[in-house]
Amino acid sequence: MNGGRLATLRWRILLGFGGVLAGLVVAAIIGTAALRAMRTAVARELQALQAASLVGSGLVSTVFDEIRAAEQYLNRPADEARRDFQLAADEGSRYEKGLEQLEGLSLEDRLTVNRIKGLQASIQVDYSIAHALKDLGRDREALGRSLAVRDEARELTRLVRDLSVRQAQRAGQAGSRLEALAVRRQSFLWIVLALTIAAGVLISWFTLQAVELPLGRLVTAAERFGAGDLRPVTTGRMPREFQVLADAMRVMGERLRGIVGEVICESDRIAGSAGDLSAVSEQLAASSAEVSTAMVEISGGAEQQRNELNAMGAGLDRLRKAAGEMAEATGRVALLGQEIRTVADRHRGDVLAAGSALLNVREVVQTTSTQVQQLAEQSAAIDDFVELIKRISSQTNLLALNAAIEAARAGEHGKGFAVVAEEVRQLADESAKAAADVAATTAVIRTQVEDVTATMAAGQAKVRGVESVAEGAARGLAEIVAAIEQVEQAAARVTVAAQQNREVAQQLGERAQQVGGRAVSHASSAEQVTAATEQQGASTEEMAAAASALLQGAEKLRSLVKEFRV
Amino acid sequence: MRRLAFLCATLVVAACSSEGRPILIGVSGPFSQPRGVSMRHAAQLAAEEINAAGGIGGRRLQLVFADDSGSEDRAVRIAKAFSDSAAMVAVVGHLSSNTTLAAGRVYSASADPLVMISPSASSPDLTGFSPYVFRVTPSDLNQGQQIARFARRSLEGGSDGGGVRRAGVIFINNEYGRGLRQAFAAEFTGLGGAILEEDPYLPDTPSLEPYLSRMRQRGGVEVLVLACERPGAELALRELRQLGLHWPVIGGDALTGIEGPLAEGVRFSSTYLPQQPGERNGRFVAAYARAFKGERPDHRGAGAYDILRLLAQAISVVGPDRDAIRDYIAQVGTTKPAFEGVTGTIAFDANGDVPTKPVVIGVIRNGQLQAEAAR
Repeated sequence: MNGGRLATLRWRILLGFGGVLAGLVVAAIIGTAALRAMRTAVARELQALQAASLVGSGLVSTVFDEIRAAEQYLNRPADEARRDFQLAADEGSRYEKGLEQLEGLSLEDRLTVNRIKGLQASIQVDYSIAHALKDLGRDREALGRSLAVRDEARELTRLVRDLSVRQAQRAGQAGSRLEALAVRRQSFLWIVLALTIAAGVLISWFTLQAVELPLGRLVTAAERFGAGDLRPVTTGRMPREFQVLADAMRVMGERLRGIVGEVICESDRIAGSAGDLSAVSEQLAASSAEVSTAMVEISGGAEQQRNELNAMGAGLDRLRKAAGEMAEATGRVALLGQEIRTVADRHRGDVLAAGSALLNVREVVQTTSTQVQQLAEQSAAIDDFVELIKRISSQTNLLALNAAIEAARAGEHGKGFAVVAEEVRQLADESAKAAADVAATTAVIRTQVEDVTATMAAGQAKVRGVESVAEGAARGLAEIVAAIEQVEQAAARVTVAAQQNREVAQQLGERAQQVGGRAVSHASSAEQVTAATEQQGASTEEMAAAASALLQGAEKLRSLVKEFRV
Repeated sequence: MRRLAFLCATLVVAACSSEGRPILIGVSGPFSQPRGVSMRHAAQLAAEEINAAGGIGGRRLQLVFADDSGSEDRAVRIAKAFSDSAAMVAVVGHLSSNTTLAAGRVYSASADPLVMISPSASSPDLTGFSPYVFRVTPSDLNQGQQIARFARRSLEGGSDGGGVRRAGVIFINNEYGRGLRQAFAAEFTGLGGAILEEDPYLPDTPSLEPYLSRMRQRGGVEVLVLACERPGAELALRELRQLGLHWPVIGGDALTGIEGPLAEGVRFSSTYLPQQPGERNGRFVAAYARAFKGERPDHRGAGAYDILRLLAQAISVVGPDRDAIRDYIAQVGTTKPAFEGVTGTIAFDANGDVPTKPVVIGVIRNGQLQAEAAR
């Protein structure tokens, strides 16, 4: 079933371009999937970074709130400052929990987190005791306690910054991992595209081969037929559409060959008969000359005359028989001409049918090229998608910039956050760059699609060429029919000549009968015999002329038939 | 770490000489401190009893003890070492909330997560903390509530006769202390009590005297709540006496093991008392006393004993596979029957907690921990 389908041009083209389309679709799917995967990965990394920086900056700012409230209380004990201190301390524990719950912390990170927790707890305890001492009026002790906090606060800020930097580094590593992934995906995409293009080129080449080669062979065969070379042609394997045509031509060639062979045979026989006839007439002429010269011996040799007459009668019988055969042969020639015409007409019909099959092929090519055009239009959707990614990354860039400004405003304490903001910005740049790469890739895909469309247009032009050749074949067949008509006419002329010949022979026979009768009954009447002999001489001349005309007709027929090579 | 490595090495040697390879279970707590002693002893006792009865499925149970000294850093390092050792199938520990929280994240985040069951970590933060972390002691939310209710309803010395109204809180500034303090404060104020102040401390805080002096200056409190670990509580009691103050003192189960004249009359929540009724508990306390020169187990030891018995049961059913053991433990009390231990009935909820376990208030009378009858 499949093999049968594959043998036709229509299915080869359908399958071929279907394959190219599938390749392009696969490339588009891979591209889209890669983009989506990268988008989610970027989003995840960004989220993790954001969480880390939020928790880190939140923790640092809470600790400073705590310190500010605590110092405020030490300067001027008020319930408000005390409450602020308590709130900030509680807020700090919440941030600590957030810090512990960050994803992907290494053992080192966990130890840092533990240290941060310890420092924060220590700061809270130191201030709480300092406050108690202040409340008790032991200001000097309170001051000593509060001084211990400074180093702890500095250490805590440093640790939080370290942690943020490490998180950022990890995000950077994730970024390069993503980039490597993107590069891998891209090369895979290139390979798929290259394969698709190679497949397209191969398919185009094979299709052209499948059309051009058999067509060339068929045209050669048709030209040979047109030139009268009716020897069998070998066309080899070819697509089914052409196979039909080739079979038709082969059958036609066989039939023509058979017919022409028979015609040649018949014409040879006619020529032979005509030769015989002229030899007989020559003999007859010689006999009549003998009759004239032997007129003097006639009366004496009636027996001899009768013998002579008998011999003539037998010659005439042979002549009549030959003429009859010739008329029959020419009749057959006319009949065969009719047959050739019928066959040629039928094959002209076949050629026209093949031409309309080619028209179908052209339609298929046209449909396929429309579909490829649609694919090119759909790749515009990828462009929209890339545009969206670009917009997102530029927005992220802006956010990162704002963050960097805020960090700068915070001065020394914002340094850690500034590093994070910078990393976010770079990540946004990377994704914008990746999006640009994808846009470039899509553009390349589009050019490829345009190339394929152009190739298919060329294929269409080829198919049109095939049609004109088919028309040429039809014309060649028409010429064959015309040639056959000429043969028929010639055969008709031969028939007429043969008819005349037969009539003359008939007359001759009758007259010979009469002469025989007269010779037997009136042996003595020499004048009558002489007159009859003169009459016979004239008849013999007439017969010789007819035989020569017959010979001429046979020669002409033979020369006409000779043009065919069987 | 060196001690841990040495332990592992000895274990490997021991394993090669005994019948088949032993089953390894990690036990980690502050064994260098007094509060870790009972946990270590009870775990040893459980392992000896299990091995004397033929081991688990014919294989010896071998414990790997690792001292975390109550430090989160050490707990994290131990957790890493336990998780990375493929032969380790489960962990008993850690003892306190801060180490349990710090180490629990490492066990859970490991490539091959390891189930851990704590005998005494009570922080509310542990509720639903991780599918691999369980505990056999009620949450501080529960204990804080019980302490507040007892103080507000049953403690004598209140100005209105029906319990005390003014409380001062000293808490250790870690997950345990903060959790207990918040649970207590919420319940106590909810019951109409007032909290004078809540003061944090850390193990290296040299003196709590400023807090106590300030409480006195502000008119004193009717109850002093010590959401402390044992050393901090002892410091507070000492300084309280030095200041000549005699406020009633109540705390959480971290005070378990407190002793000496200062401890007399101190109350704290407990999930286990050595003298609590039950044939199982009686046998356990007797065996413990025989093995360790007349000592009495605390709730941490009893908890560790129950955990090892429970783990042995789980391993004998599902085999020494980390995930299978975890899945078995998670079903105890729901699709699998609850475990009857010396501390009572252990039935885990979906959060890895034992909400059905009762909390009692104990009091030190004549150097002995006794159940305080709630009024």
